[in-house]
Amino acid sequence: MGWLIDLLPLSHAAAVVAVGSMVLGAAAGLLGALAVLQGRSLVGDAVSHSALPGVAVAFLVTGAKDPATLLVGAAIAGVIGAIAMVGIERTQRMRPDVAIGVVLSSFFSLGVVLLTHIASTGGAEQAGLDSYLFGQAAGMVEGDVELMTWLAVGAALGLALGYRALKTSIFDREFAGSLGLPVRLLDIAVTALLVVAVVIGLQTVGAILMVAMLIVPAVVARQLTDRLSRLLPLAAATGAAVGVVGALLSIERAVPTGPVIVLVGVAAALVVLMLAPGRGIVWRAIRLARARRRERIGGVLIDLETAMHHGPPPTPEELALATARPARDVRRGLRALERAGLLARDGGRVMLNARGAAHAHQALEGRRLWSAWLEHGWRLRLPDAREPDPRDLRASIGDEAVAELAAMAAMAAMARDDGGA
Amino acid sequence: MTFSDDTIIIMTGGLVATGCALLGVFLVLRRQALLGDAVSHAVLPGIVVVFLLTGSRAPLPVIIGAAAFALLCVLAIDAIRGTGLVKSDAAIGLVFPALFALGVLGIDRYAADIHLDLDSTIYGEIAFAPFRTVEIGDALVARSVLIAGIVALVDLVLVAALWRRLKVTTFDPTFARTIGASPDWTSRVLLLAVSVTAVTAFDAVGAILVVTLLIVPAAAAYLLTDRLIGMIVIAVGIGWVAAIGGHAAAIEADASIAGSMGLVAAVCFAVALLLAPRHGLVARRLALTRRRRAAARA
Repeated sequence: MGWLIDLLPLSHAAAVVAVGSMVLGAAAGLLGALAVLQGRSLVGDAVSHSALPGVAVAFLVTGAKDPATLLVGAAIAGVIGAIAMVGIERTQRMRPDVAIGVVLSSFFSLGVVLLTHIASTGGAEQAGLDSYLFGQAAGMVEGDVELMTWLAVGAALGLALGYRALKTSIFDREFAGSLGLPVRLLDIAVTALLVVAVVIGLQTVGAILMVAMLIVPAVVARQLTDRLSRLLPLAAATGAAVGVVGALLSIERAVPTGPVIVLVGVAAALVVLMLAPGRGIVWRAIRLARARRRERIGGVLIDLETAMHHGPPPTPEELALATARPARDVRRGLRALERAGLLARDGGRVMLNARGAAHAHQALEGRRLWSAWLEHGWRLRLPDAREPDPRDLRASIGDEAVAELAAMAAMAAMARDDGGA
Repeated sequence: MTFSDDTIIIMTGGLVATGCALLGVFLVLRRQALLGDAVSHAVLPGIVVVFLLTGSRAPLPVIIGAAAFALLCVLAIDAIRGTGLVKSDAAIGLVFPALFALGVLGIDRYAADIHLDLDSTIYGEIAFAPFRTVEIGDALVARSVLIAGIVALVDLVLVAALWRRLKVTTFDPTFARTIGASPDWTSRVLLLAVSVTAVTAFDAVGAILVVTLLIVPAAAAYLLTDRLIGMIVIAVGIGWVAAIGGHAAAIEADASIAGSMGLVAAVCFAVALLLAPRHGLVARRLALTRRRRAAARA
């Protein structure tokens, strides 16, 4: 990654942080996506908390505050915590979130007890051990970036090699097990990679913020695709983008990097949740509003046609009274019809013009056809099993089927009339 | 009426455990076990804001500020979960790191030169419980015992009053909706109770013990019984065992009282995990061998 660091038009230190954040983001995105899909989104939280007793024990054993030793201790404790988590889940009574919570709080309590015990027996040497885990993001050096690159490459390679098996075990564990796939081994391998990612992230973005680094890319990618084969690269790309944007912003403003990356990531996730095509909140709201509007206009159209059959053209108020539709809805529907050129006004009274009447007949026909479909549709033999579109039945099942349906409805109506007579 | 210091510490721990267990049972059953952890981090910006506004670290304003952000956190989680686009655990993991990040940035920007020490503000220390007292009438009462007692009582009343609603919305939200017991409304009341309980308890015993007491006793109880009422009783019991045993262990090992209480709760969970009569690992293994042997014989 040295070439990329040299390539960027930034100071060396800033470039290291930017590239490092990008690589870490990509690795966290890949591994986090697997965790999120398995319902273990907060596994990063558990691993980062369970690192505390590891740090304490590493200090007890070596008696030194050497970062590398403490890191190894943290990683070992993280792996033990992760294995405990998988073990608790295996009772099948504990869901992943409970397993994560139990491991998190038990290990952290143990860490606190160990640290205070060391403090009361061994003097002040231990001070700062816990802030090692929860302190501010430390400056990255080029060695860190190299380590992260190895992690990202390792994660990507592992995923590529075990892709089919992983895919099966994520979406259907029992099935994967029955195929003879090494489900538990895969679980442990993925979790071990995750532990390494979290422990590396601990130093650079901080424990709590690492939690978001794992979740954000998965949430973003999940809104944009339904396929795992696209979700994974998308998550990696999202993680990298969030990492690099956050890092650059924080460098520009001279504020801590970790929190900025997290805020950028969460903001991106919220935007995608709002705007994701076809799925997002705004998108859904628009679709709902459109459907309501269409229903309202169609309803008023048919109501007006029916009213004109029974008597003189009504006023909007009379129409509202006759149909038990809110007056406001009627007025809005009438305005829309007028804009579409289907309505004529005579003083206060409204009536459909010729085009309007044609439209109304068509709408009525569509409704009748839909009722016929609901009543007799099961008897039709359609070439495929798709659900038809209620708005345009004719287009979705074809003219032939519609003709058949109309015949069935007519037969049924005749049978009813005979029965009545 | 005066108590010894030890009794006050144990009572504080036990009363906090009672409130936490009452609510924790529902969190565990509703897949929101990690809410306590989320709240414990999300209150950070609240503390910073209060500190910036008032310049003080007096308990009451800090608790109010923290409670405001705790509420914001749980409501935001609920809203994101409610869109149906994100699972509940991922929603938790989106919200609390963001709030925590805001807090860290706030400290960096405005309070870097002031020692805003979390340990001495909201992340309280249970060992100080006997020294912080309030006067009621002419009796001196330990503040943490009083607050934890009131909160536990409120939680008890709340759970009792909403018993049927909580039960039906926890086990069958769809059915609850059809009979007009709104799961959303119940969920929000529960979340409100959790954030108030957690924030007041942070002040009394420290965050990690609250997180532990919300999850671990309820999880252990879930292994031991299939009945909701039994689960609550067992969870509260484990909470008191943790309070009493943890206090004794802490004195023995000269270590953090809150940490020891959490550790005793964890040991209770481990024992339940191994030895629970039906769901424990040993029982499951025995049942498996018995089935295998029966299959071999047949």
